[in-house]
Amino acid sequence: MNNKFITPLEASDKVKKSIAKRRAKDNRLKLYGRVAISLAVCFLLILFYSIFSKGYSGFFQYYVTLDINFDRERIDPKGDLSDNSLFDGEASKIVNESLFSIIQPQGRKAKKQAKKIVSSGKDVRIAKMVKNDPSLFGTTTKVKFALDDDIDSFLRGYIKRETPESERRISNKVIEYIDKLNEEGRISYEFSDYILSGSASGNPEMAGIKGAFIGSMLTLSVCLLIAFPLGVATAIYLEEVAKKNKITEFIEVNINNLAAVPSVVFGIMGLAIFISIFGMPRSIPLVGGMVLALMTLPTIIISSRAAIRAVPPSVRDAAYGIGASKLQVIFHHVIPLAMPGMLTGTIIGMAQALGETAPLLMIGMVAFIVDVPNSILDPGTVLPVQIFMWADFAERMFIQKTSAAIIVLLGFLISMNALAVYLRKRLERRW
Amino acid sequence: MSNINDFKSLELTVGDVFSKNARIKARNVNVFYGNNKAIDNVTIDIGSKEVISFIGPSGCGKSTFLRCFNRMNDTIDSCVVQGEISIDDENIYDKKIDVVPLRARIGMVFQKPNPFPKSIYDNVAYGPRIHGLSENKEHLDVIVEESLKRAGLWQEVSDRLQSPGTGLSGGQQQRLCIARAIAVSPEVILMDEPCSALDPIATARIEDLIHELGNDYSIVIVTHSMQQAARVSKRTAYFHLGKLIEVGKTKEIFTRPQHHQTEAYISGKIG
Repeated sequence: MNNKFITPLEASDKVKKSIAKRRAKDNRLKLYGRVAISLAVCFLLILFYSIFSKGYSGFFQYYVTLDINFDRERIDPKGDLSDNSLFDGEASKIVNESLFSIIQPQGRKAKKQAKKIVSSGKDVRIAKMVKNDPSLFGTTTKVKFALDDDIDSFLRGYIKRETPESERRISNKVIEYIDKLNEEGRISYEFSDYILSGSASGNPEMAGIKGAFIGSMLTLSVCLLIAFPLGVATAIYLEEVAKKNKITEFIEVNINNLAAVPSVVFGIMGLAIFISIFGMPRSIPLVGGMVLALMTLPTIIISSRAAIRAVPPSVRDAAYGIGASKLQVIFHHVIPLAMPGMLTGTIIGMAQALGETAPLLMIGMVAFIVDVPNSILDPGTVLPVQIFMWADFAERMFIQKTSAAIIVLLGFLISMNALAVYLRKRLERRW
Repeated sequence: MSNINDFKSLELTVGDVFSKNARIKARNVNVFYGNNKAIDNVTIDIGSKEVISFIGPSGCGKSTFLRCFNRMNDTIDSCVVQGEISIDDENIYDKKIDVVPLRARIGMVFQKPNPFPKSIYDNVAYGPRIHGLSENKEHLDVIVEESLKRAGLWQEVSDRLQSPGTGLSGGQQQRLCIARAIAVSPEVILMDEPCSALDPIATARIEDLIHELGNDYSIVIVTHSMQQAARVSKRTAYFHLGKLIEVGKTKEIFTRPQHHQTEAYISGKIG
């Protein structure tokens, strides 16, 4: 039997027996796959749920409504609405007076504590209002001011009434004042006008992500403008022009290795080359973008080469056959056909760069910068670094701000990926 | 032929390799892929306005030899061509020769229809555009129309020139590729098994077309089908293992082959 050739009958018998086993194997494999996918989806949902449920409150904060008497003499002593004049004015004092008239603090100490209830950005807010609308002068208008971060945390329930006064960040007196304001209906919970339009600030109630957001945009644009053309050109050269020899092989291996280099190393390199040798300023988006471009290059090159290799050889043959030169074949046929793949790789690289913190710490983009950068040469910071810094601050309110910034970063990332999908769909000709 | 002894390959090749009004002359051509000899000392003439077919078993080098005429083998790094191929007495393997104008003179149609992923119009207009053949838009329209007419495709596509070329049927795509090749007004058209991916009806249309085009162009067609060779060509060359075994009038090759290998192939014993 062992040495004999199997007869058709025996063969079909054996096949039948083995089929049950094979089916079981197939089904097991399918089950594993389903479990893996549902686990992944589960974790994703949990992640999104926890981020959004905790983070969305970071977009809101508590405000107090006060009646402000816009006395021109006091707010704008020189009468020309200039920054100097407004700075010399007594806007803060007016706000405090209005506050005191409601809560009636007695004595110097009580007044000092009461002053702190309203965020220190009150005078800036009044200055902004009168600049936008000088007709406010001479009127008495209701204005909303952000509450101090400790008050905010108290209203959210993070600072508890039951805690003994000595261990609480706010005194019994202040709690009394807040209750009074609450009774009069002057405290409201509203969408924060600082989180999206404010910049870095030591006062958490006034901190916002505008500066970091603009910084991220500028840094990414620099990164894209450097990495995309360089990466695509490198990929085309290696795939289409260069002869396959030891040198190109060596370059190839090194590019693949670069993709695996920890990003902080690129930061150190940027620090050593761009800042120490070339003497460029620290903390600017230009240097940040250059460092991130170096980091993104391998990703773009590798995916672009894969995209170029996927262009069917028949198209090249057709173009060469009709007498197109090498450059014409590349520019008329290879690049258009490879573009969706190249773009996908580029946007994946950009998304990676957007979330990068470590290399930017190295080149000083972690500095505390209040001004929103206007150009790639202004010092700035980026979203992930801002998140990193806020996560490090002690004030309770920064936790919500951090979550809100994470949501913005995620939104940025998702919209970038959506753009990638859209571009790919549009460029990918369906013929 | 008086100078018959000049060519070593004639020891091997049976029949008349020369042509009275030769347009392409290949002399002692050897082709190597690395260390592998794919074409061994082939000498042949291809006449003006002549349809010649290359037949032979798979791997005999007929396609490789065909691709020597427009230097398509240049794109393969390991491929080396020795010997001399001249078109109108100009050696195309001369160092001074630029392949771009050469390929404009010698059109090529490939085994698998390979239209560009562009519109029908752009497919045909591509060659004239890159070579600067048209003076203006109207002229280009005329070239496209004439090429499509000559390729026998105009009636089917005239109302949808802007639709994608890859949306056509296989046979239509191949005719589109022929139209694209003739749009640059070549002198010679090389066809590398142009019907192997097509059904019999589409094949018949292409064969009719080759017949018609034979009045204006020199056509070299590589084919696996002996019937096709018999139908479309006046001359036939039989290749075997990189050697040109026999050349002659198609009728004679198929009725009275001189070489025993040709006979074996034609009678179905090899290949």
